[in-house]
Amino acid sequence: MGALLHPTTSLCRTCKRALPALVEAREDRSVWLSKSCPEHGAQSVRLSTDAAWYAATRAVKPVASAPRRTPRPVHFGCPFDCGACAQHGQKVRLPVVTITSACNLDCPICYVYNKNDGTWHMDVAAFRRILQHLKDDLGEVDIVNFTGGEPFLHPEFMTFLEVARDAGVHRVTICSNGLFLAKNEPLVKRLGELGARVALSFDTFDPQTDVVLQGSRLVEAKLRALDLTEKYNVDVTLIPVMTKGMNDHEVGAILRMAMERPNVRHVELHTITYTGQGGTHFDPSRSGRISMVEVLDRIAETTHGWLTREDFVSSPCAHPLCYQIAYLLLDPDGGPPVPFTRFMPREALYACLAERLYLEPSRALEDALQDAMDRLWVSDEPEAERTLKILRQLLGALFPRDRVITREEALRAAERASKAVYVHSHMDEDTFDVERLAQCCDSNCAEDGTTIPVCAYNVLYKEKEAEFMAAPRSWGERSGDVKLRRLAVLA
Amino acid sequence: MTGRLEGTRCLVTGGSRGLGRELCLAFAREGARVAFTFRRREADAEDTTLRLRALGCEPQCFQGDVADGAHAQAVVGALTRAWGGLDVLVNNAGVQHVVPLALLEEPDWDLMLNTCLKGPYLFSRAALRGMIRARKGTILNVGVFSSERIVEAPAHYAAAKAGLRGLTDALAREVGRHGVRVNMLSPGLLDVGLGRMLMPHRVEEYRAQAALGRTGTAEEVARMAVFLVSDENTFMTGARVTPDGGL
Repeated sequence: MGALLHPTTSLCRTCKRALPALVEAREDRSVWLSKSCPEHGAQSVRLSTDAAWYAATRAVKPVASAPRRTPRPVHFGCPFDCGACAQHGQKVRLPVVTITSACNLDCPICYVYNKNDGTWHMDVAAFRRILQHLKDDLGEVDIVNFTGGEPFLHPEFMTFLEVARDAGVHRVTICSNGLFLAKNEPLVKRLGELGARVALSFDTFDPQTDVVLQGSRLVEAKLRALDLTEKYNVDVTLIPVMTKGMNDHEVGAILRMAMERPNVRHVELHTITYTGQGGTHFDPSRSGRISMVEVLDRIAETTHGWLTREDFVSSPCAHPLCYQIAYLLLDPDGGPPVPFTRFMPREALYACLAERLYLEPSRALEDALQDAMDRLWVSDEPEAERTLKILRQLLGALFPRDRVITREEALRAAERASKAVYVHSHMDEDTFDVERLAQCCDSNCAEDGTTIPVCAYNVLYKEKEAEFMAAPRSWGERSGDVKLRRLAVLA
Repeated sequence: MTGRLEGTRCLVTGGSRGLGRELCLAFAREGARVAFTFRRREADAEDTTLRLRALGCEPQCFQGDVADGAHAQAVVGALTRAWGGLDVLVNNAGVQHVVPLALLEEPDWDLMLNTCLKGPYLFSRAALRGMIRARKGTILNVGVFSSERIVEAPAHYAAAKAGLRGLTDALAREVGRHGVRVNMLSPGLLDVGLGRMLMPHRVEEYRAQAALGRTGTAEEVARMAVFLVSDENTFMTGARVTPDGGL
């Protein structure tokens, strides 16, 4: 027995019924989530290697921002009433739209379900309805993330992009494995013209690791996709899935590549989750599981300290254990990037992220930068002068003396001057914690207006949908036993 | 139909783009003869020239630095030879430079003050000889609302424009007895220049503060300028006109 940190509700790894669970700190400072299923016995999983970090991070309160509309009544209890229900704490900040079940890969670590036989593609009218629901909920929709499957396999994919653009969505991201992009230069060119962004899975530079994680040697194709996106000015987010002992030692190299490639805007490091058609069967001992703080420490080790765990803040828009975010200022003279937290208080960066999952120009950001410049100016620290010089160059790009640039050009100049590193920890049955789920702001959006937090969708809901499963599961068969029992009572 | 500036000989510094270009076009539409200066942007100057020609105006165009006294003398001299004199001088040339004090270096300060304050002094001094001799003329200095209000603005820019306000006041007093009027036009946020580059939240802040709830257009300000330099404006000198939507 360890010291109790908090109780929660989790899921049975086998039958996915809801179970009371305890999160405890053990003597070795690790944090464990423990639960017991009446049918499948005691289960426990390590959530963190650092109890102090876990407790301090969990203590950060997200900014309360409940959804305006909660179409699902609270009936069975979390996580069986998605969504959103009245108990949900966050509105959707990252609308995820799954537009196809088709995929051209079968990755061993794939954490979603896809289906290539009897492929399903969302129709454009359904997407228009989703956009309308989102507008009703949010007022404006500034970001949409298309996923699948592989979204580029949708035969009408470009129409989706155009519909999003015409609806005023200014940040359209497409999750992709990159293979289609690597072979289709005109498509990449068109993405650049439309201002679309690609979220490219990129787990490793090592071909053998690639085979283990992605089932094939894909590094060359992904690098080719990166070259093309750079050529056509398509912004990219790299999405490496961190797996302990497999690719966590490569995180520094991946970050360095991200810093060097001008069109790579973000790196979003995921911790591996054992869900979906691949993940459920991958690594049965689940020895590759890695916690968020371990990823932060791998980052510090492999970047030799130019990015450390102190440079990250939680997202105010989500549960603090779901997102850790660092922003870095690039040095045009080739020096190491400067994390924002080295020249502004972490609280200031946190406050600047209050409205969105990513930094956008805002009064709060301007004030924080102004404060930072004043502080750097009066500082005697050796790095202050370099940082001030970088900020001066940034202002020069934003407000060039010799010409008038458009607002959009200024925004792009600002984006090109900085990069962001996110660590995003998804949950599977083992790590499932409804406290985190209730603060999720990433939701899969459906045409009926429901928005289901992505972790709940991947663990519980997607496998029930005929669009993605040749043999869809039913509630209670391998998930949601509680839901089945409540339904039986109601009947 | 005769324009409000028919035959008036006008020189606009920094006239190749933005508000300066709009002033040139507005003057030309009212029948003025127009000359303008520019420093670097030859393509913009060419564009302004073509637009003026389209209005039936054959402009005089001079490339140089307004802070260069020889340039000021040469421009005014050339126009005096070509036109026989100068009726209107608009000191519009400026520098777009946004930095907080922490990043404001001495060369930045010098460039701003040279362009926005020394330049108007040099061009005014060059033009006033002829105006005083003719006992007629008008100088219009283009300021900015941020030198009239306590708002966020780069310190060197606000200081230069505030200095220009002092120059306006002093010159108005000094040359009024010769029949020369000197005024200042200090527009608010417009749809040209910095107003096009600011992030939406900044523009929104301006709109929220302005009584009219919007930013201005260069054309609106140019219409005001036409009145200020025209003979319709007979009794106003040393004035500061601030078309800013009611901040």
